[in-house]
Amino acid sequence: MHRVLCRQWGCGVARRALLCLGVFLLLSVVRGGPVSADDQSYQALREWIEQYRTVPPQFTPGQVLTEKDRAVLEPFIPRSAWPYYFFDGMEMEIAPTGHYPPPPDWGKRVRTGYTLDENGVLVGFTGGGFPFPEIAPDDPQAAVKVIWNMLWRPGTQDFVMPMVAWSRGVNGQLDRVYQFVSISAEYARGDYCLVPGYEEVRGKSLMEFRSPRDMAGAKNLSVTYVDHYKEDSGWLYIPSQRKPRRTLASERTSEVMGMDFTREDQMGFGGKVYEHRWTYLGKKHVLATINVRDNPEAGGPHLWVPQKARWEVRECHVLLIDPKSETHPYSHKILFIDAETFWTHWMFAFDRREQLLRLSQHFLKYSESYAHETPQQAPYMVLDFSSNLGWNVFLHLGETDINAQKPHATFTHCYVAKKDLSSGRAKQFYSVRNMVSGRR
Amino acid sequence: MACSRNVLFAVLGVVLMSPLPSWGVIALRHDLEIEGFLEAKNILRTPMFRDAKFIMQRNTAQIEGKYYFLREGRAFGRFSTGPLEEASLTVIGRGVYDSIYDIGEALSEKFTYEERLQRKFEYKLREIYTDMAIPPFALRIGRQQVVWGETDNFRALDVINPLDLRWHWSRESWEDIRIPLWMVRAIYDIGKFGPIEESFVETIWIPWDFQRTKITTDPRRPWAFIGDGLRTVANSAIIGGQLYDLRPQRIDRKPDRSLESSQAGIRFKGIWGGIDFSLNYLYLLSADTGVKVRRDLSRLDPTPTASGAAGTLYSVINTVNPRSHVMGIAANYSEERYTQAVFRVEAALTTGVPVRLAPGASRRLDPDNNSFDTARRSVLMLAFDRPTWIRPLNKIRTFFLTSQIFWRHYWDYSRLYRGTSSVVRAVVDGRVIPGRFISFSRDRVEQDEIVITFAASTSYGAGGLWQPLFVFAFDPLSTGAYNRLSLDYLFSNHIVLRLTQDFYWRVSGHDPGPWSIGDLFGRPRDSRHETIFSIIFQF
Repeated sequence: MHRVLCRQWGCGVARRALLCLGVFLLLSVVRGGPVSADDQSYQALREWIEQYRTVPPQFTPGQVLTEKDRAVLEPFIPRSAWPYYFFDGMEMEIAPTGHYPPPPDWGKRVRTGYTLDENGVLVGFTGGGFPFPEIAPDDPQAAVKVIWNMLWRPGTQDFVMPMVAWSRGVNGQLDRVYQFVSISAEYARGDYCLVPGYEEVRGKSLMEFRSPRDMAGAKNLSVTYVDHYKEDSGWLYIPSQRKPRRTLASERTSEVMGMDFTREDQMGFGGKVYEHRWTYLGKKHVLATINVRDNPEAGGPHLWVPQKARWEVRECHVLLIDPKSETHPYSHKILFIDAETFWTHWMFAFDRREQLLRLSQHFLKYSESYAHETPQQAPYMVLDFSSNLGWNVFLHLGETDINAQKPHATFTHCYVAKKDLSSGRAKQFYSVRNMVSGRR
Repeated sequence: MACSRNVLFAVLGVVLMSPLPSWGVIALRHDLEIEGFLEAKNILRTPMFRDAKFIMQRNTAQIEGKYYFLREGRAFGRFSTGPLEEASLTVIGRGVYDSIYDIGEALSEKFTYEERLQRKFEYKLREIYTDMAIPPFALRIGRQQVVWGETDNFRALDVINPLDLRWHWSRESWEDIRIPLWMVRAIYDIGKFGPIEESFVETIWIPWDFQRTKITTDPRRPWAFIGDGLRTVANSAIIGGQLYDLRPQRIDRKPDRSLESSQAGIRFKGIWGGIDFSLNYLYLLSADTGVKVRRDLSRLDPTPTASGAAGTLYSVINTVNPRSHVMGIAANYSEERYTQAVFRVEAALTTGVPVRLAPGASRRLDPDNNSFDTARRSVLMLAFDRPTWIRPLNKIRTFFLTSQIFWRHYWDYSRLYRGTSSVVRAVVDGRVIPGRFISFSRDRVEQDEIVITFAASTSYGAGGLWQPLFVFAFDPLSTGAYNRLSLDYLFSNHIVLRLTQDFYWRVSGHDPGPWSIGDLFGRPRDSRHETIFSIIFQF
């Protein structure tokens, strides 16, 4: 069972008034004028981070906040997201900020001797814990250390995860509904590998579509490697071709099929560290759906954002990522990564004009909360969620990915059951052999 | 037939009235799934973009079921099955009704009632197989399709299943025109050994189910393979400058459905240094049918006929499918750094390729005097796939570009090798004889045959619902070419609308070439340009 530590926020009226005055003064200093609520630009987000960096919450756990409480929410919902997250009828349930301990043996099986090279690439690390448990804000490599902790956080793999994704346009126009299942295994586990002899493999995953029919049966085998310089390997089985096809890994910036995310934006950052410049922007408290009760319903005028979900104030590392390539569609990307768990809560990507292009926000649930709260089952398969207890990790219950310029969004529910395959079964299952045929 | 139809409607009823929220695979129970589609395909042929003719109105219903009767070592949720960990049963059935044989005049009047009945309906249990996982073995037993190799839509190593080219040549997804065969497919997973990763050995055994690649030469059918000649049947022969009636007789020497007609194959697949490769061997019967002229059984009756001919030629032929060995390698490599492309290669050597010899071949070349020979033929295919940004055309998604060059070479080549026969008008003493047609083999097979293909696809719209496809195939030797422009609109999860335009054209000359593109299907006054509109309801 995890321990929940309630933070005690001052509630006195006088204190609130003082804080409001402080916020107002800070706004005036930083912006030098009135704030445009619809400004979603990179500059506006940077200013928002500075404006509200030290502002304490003006709400308390147990409150259900609505659009009337927008003023107290604004310091904790990143500004580029305001046009989507503040709407008539919105409800946010505020929960106490929790403490979520990692697996008991987390960090005990880490092999020492790993380093960061001149490109910021982690060399020689094989998992089992965070590579950099302590992040010093003044460390010039703080940003890459945070991202490596995010990439090697506990709970990234070892699951069966059916998913449903709703692809929606303005006013909730439903374009397509995708159903797919992802199954993955972590091979690199610190001082041992799940499948002996495959020590170069970081992990393997197999994802198969079920719907729509024109995509049903298409499956993708992906292999990631411990050596970050080595590109992933991938094979795609398409039923109409009845054979696997090798896929290219290094193109990561195209939207995936009809959905609104790119592979490089997976969990905030799924690309190559050496292709970007990294800047640590300090810490910031934000609201996050870190331990939702259930897969959140979609809300807002376009059904793009979580509604009636449970939120917590979380302290986050804020990272600025600038692509080195001038042909990259982004000028900047800003990530909010949980300072305790190193899961990404928010991602904002800006085009070359520094206007918001994409944002994503993630819905998580702590495995031990399944003891008293069971989320939904997938509409097309039943999983044994009791297997989630005891892992002490987060499960990814979904996300929303909004393309601000189309405009369009993909709202995804994930239904995760932890599963640890045996070495022999993993070797059989995650193999190219398993890709020469499919459901037809 | 009525029973099949009832079953089809019953299954459709279950699917369409199912309360389960689904847009693809429908889980009727936790261990039973169903999916499929209904498609109405309408084809308008527009020779030289004039005189459009409605040639196909094909309605297809396909139902696919999957029953997982054994999971995690327990069958039907009750019995422990020891090392047998997983097993499932897959059934794919297809029903077709082409209403073009009932509506309009284009085809309905050309065929008898029985002929129309035979051509307009198709009910088939196309595939039925069981998958079993007994690690490290995997078995698939039943009627199925197996595809080896790296080539798209050309036959090199992908020759295990024959094709049905009768209703729309090879212009459909090959999944829908491959003829599934009863066979056993077994895979033994080796994994990693030495420098080889992800390795396995795969074998297939087709015990008795030999099927030919099916083509039609009936000129009344829209996709009859009639060479570059007239759309009619030869009824005459010219011998010694005189016209004879032709009475052909075919004696079919198709291999029996017996163990002696077994076919088999084995391949080893693995990854070495990032190169995903396979070594392949197939022991087959050639699915391409050869023709032996039986001069010993043929005879010339010199009795003048009522039609005015000098006599009658009774010509006897055997249709045969010789034994064939196919050896080949296939490989792919994902080059991520410089070209950001996946390169594919396939090379195969095939023996026992049936070829036709021109009349008058020497006894050395044609010792059996049957105008038939078998040849050794090699194929080399080089290809690349590349997701590519073309931002002026699409700012949010890449284009998937793929290109192939396919080179076929005859090793036992003779200048007397002939391709498809054509039907031409009978000419005697420089005079065209009305109503008389002869078969003439003027299509000389070239020792080297080359075709280059290119395809590009992407998607447009906020939800990626507009999906264009561009295809280009070009034969640099005959200068024949083929283009396809296609656009899918994903109207909803259930409904897909597809508009396709096919063009057959050439740069110069009239060499039909070997690839069924260009002049062969696009000659003057008989071009097969087509406009295709399909509505697909999928579930």
